[in-house]
Amino acid sequence: MAAQYKSIHPVKYYRDFLAQDVRPDGRTPDKTRTVTVNANSISTSDGSATVRIGNTTVICGIKAELGKPKADEPESGFVVPNVELPPLCSPCFRPGPPSEEAQVMTCFVAKATSGMVDLKQLGISLDNLAWVLHIDMICLDYDGCVQDACVIALSTALRTVKLPKVDYDEDTKTPTVHLNQRTSVDVKSSPVSTSFAVFDEEIILSDPTAEEESLSSARLTVVTDGKSIFSVHKPGGSTLTEVQLQDCISIAKERANLVNEMIRVAVGSVKR
Amino acid sequence: MPSDNRRIQGPEVSSPYCLFQSGNKNVDVHSGRSEVLSSRKDSRKFMEHRKIYLKTGVVSQAKGSAYVEFDNTKVICSVFDPREIPNRIEYSQHGELFCVFKFAPFSCLTRRAHQQDAQEKELSLCLKRALEPAVCRHEFPNFQVDIYVMVLENDGGSLAAAITCAGLALADAHVPMYDLVTAASLGVTGDKLLMDPVEEEESLCQNPNKENQNHGLITVALMGAHTQVTQMWQTGSMTAACVSDALTHLVQICEETYPIAQRCLVKSVVDTISKKAQ
Amino acid sequence: MNNETLVCVPGQRLSIADKSHLSGRGTYERLGYIYATLAGVVKVVKQDKASLIEVRSSNEQSIVPAPGDIVTAKITLVKQRFCKCIIKCIGDTVLSRPYRGMLRKEDVRATEKDKVEMIKCFRPGDIILARVLPMTEVHSYQLSTAEDELGVVLADSEEGMSMVPVSWTEMQCPKTHIKELRKVAKVLPERLSTV
Repeated sequence: MAAQYKSIHPVKYYRDFLAQDVRPDGRTPDKTRTVTVNANSISTSDGSATVRIGNTTVICGIKAELGKPKADEPESGFVVPNVELPPLCSPCFRPGPPSEEAQVMTCFVAKATSGMVDLKQLGISLDNLAWVLHIDMICLDYDGCVQDACVIALSTALRTVKLPKVDYDEDTKTPTVHLNQRTSVDVKSSPVSTSFAVFDEEIILSDPTAEEESLSSARLTVVTDGKSIFSVHKPGGSTLTEVQLQDCISIAKERANLVNEMIRVAVGSVKR
Repeated sequence: MPSDNRRIQGPEVSSPYCLFQSGNKNVDVHSGRSEVLSSRKDSRKFMEHRKIYLKTGVVSQAKGSAYVEFDNTKVICSVFDPREIPNRIEYSQHGELFCVFKFAPFSCLTRRAHQQDAQEKELSLCLKRALEPAVCRHEFPNFQVDIYVMVLENDGGSLAAAITCAGLALADAHVPMYDLVTAASLGVTGDKLLMDPVEEEESLCQNPNKENQNHGLITVALMGAHTQVTQMWQTGSMTAACVSDALTHLVQICEETYPIAQRCLVKSVVDTISKKAQ
Repeated sequence: MNNETLVCVPGQRLSIADKSHLSGRGTYERLGYIYATLAGVVKVVKQDKASLIEVRSSNEQSIVPAPGDIVTAKITLVKQRFCKCIIKCIGDTVLSRPYRGMLRKEDVRATEKDKVEMIKCFRPGDIILARVLPMTEVHSYQLSTAEDELGVVLADSEEGMSMVPVSWTEMQCPKTHIKELRKVAKVLPERLSTV
């Protein structure tokens, strides 16, 4: 009977639970879900990671290619992050070009992680050749906070990338790649994003599931590395008080430290 | 290349770095042949299938889902509830299967585009044809069941893995089926048959050799309970005797895979029952 | 789980098919044997002479509404001649993908069909119980509430409170005591206790 009730009156179903200060999945409102990080799971990519936040699963693969730098930044390479929400991750998505949500998420992730890699270190030869890092984040299970999982996956995958050494012959205009001499990419910062949902305009749910997200009246995403804040994103919806915002930020900071430690362990276990 | 303003774009032209590797340039495809004829790189026997790992219920949002590993080949599939067939005017007696087969951009040696290409379209159709005979389509007339397959890593045999995976996901979604479907692939080069070829062996088998001997790939999907082949897909050229020989081997391997799929499904049923009992 | 539970998977042979063993739901018959079409638990239903072999799936089965089924639906749109709704449950099975349904004016009540006014029977957001009629159109299910037990079971008043049925045609808001018109279903007691 509970399932029928939930289907017919999802909001009331949640209210009943939250009146007891507990969520339907057994968490308290401020509790985040377990995160698991798995580095370098795909051998056909140059760097990869699988991240799970509760049921939410995102796999990130990085393919490095060689390309010609932009004319206005001849010494820089490229980082091309894209989030994909394929129809297999949720019944909400149809096959075809990226949905609006996927585009917004791509934008968000690109901005949140823009400071991680100095594009100049991806340059190989001035105005001739540079690395292009195609970073594809594919959501395999859409159960809320996909953007958080994307940021963590990207951060982990980037740390597993090993680029081969490239010599560029200016005269013949041909590069030579030495596959057995590889170096890692220098990653400068480690942002971790944590999302919140506002339910019934007053209760804040940390790390909401897809269902909680769809019932929420507002959302908030905080990107931090544990010390400094990279971005706070609250796209409209119901209002928050200053105290609530501060609470969210402190939860996000705490989680960022925890997640970054997990990333460090996961990446470390790969290098060995 | 048409510009795609819905994604972040890199430079217009970029090429995989493997093309410019130092030393052994223009590797001869035929050079690997003599090696393969004696033994396989992963020290398998010629008729030995790679280790198979199966898991159901991996995608929480889907009605049914499955994940299959043939060693490095990794495939995930999810199946959703039947929905009305869009843009359809007349009533159709049988339900339809709608299959989308996609390689992840990072799943192959060279990067894949985001859009579905011709090969992926072809594989989607193969998948649909292989599954259709196994599903009781008369039980959901005028509806379609969506089946989405994503190859996360391709190391040969991705179609076979996809069929096995999708068959399992359909059963996990409680779509009525006559039988489970399992599949396997086999490569032929010269007089050698290679069961479940890896990517490297696959490309070797696809290239005709100098003497124009038998070469090609065969993928067979089988309903184990009744030993009925739902689909056989052969490329390349080979003698009829070779095809029938290959088929015998493939059917045998599919029958060996069948109990693994059954066990996996039984486990998921037992798990849901015991979870409900709590 | 106890040891008597028989788990089966599609394609599994369950029994011989003869006069005393009949193929029921979730099974099919082929060459004298009964096989399963679902992954789930085998149930043997004893009938007067034969036993019916059935397979119940361990989770919600992928089903679509069939004529004669009782469904739970939510009203989305009310027009003069018909109203539209989305079907949420079939019997006790919750659908993960809702289907569209349509309820025409002439199928609302069993009697005095010509006096029915849609707006006095349903409002958007109401939860109704209805029976599926045979399909005539391709894209939507025809529903009927022309039975005592069918009609509105849950409705919110203009104040947003859940209303209480007071008669066949009226429901009352517990806060403002304003009565609103509905085609009220005679709800069976066991349903009322939980919802």
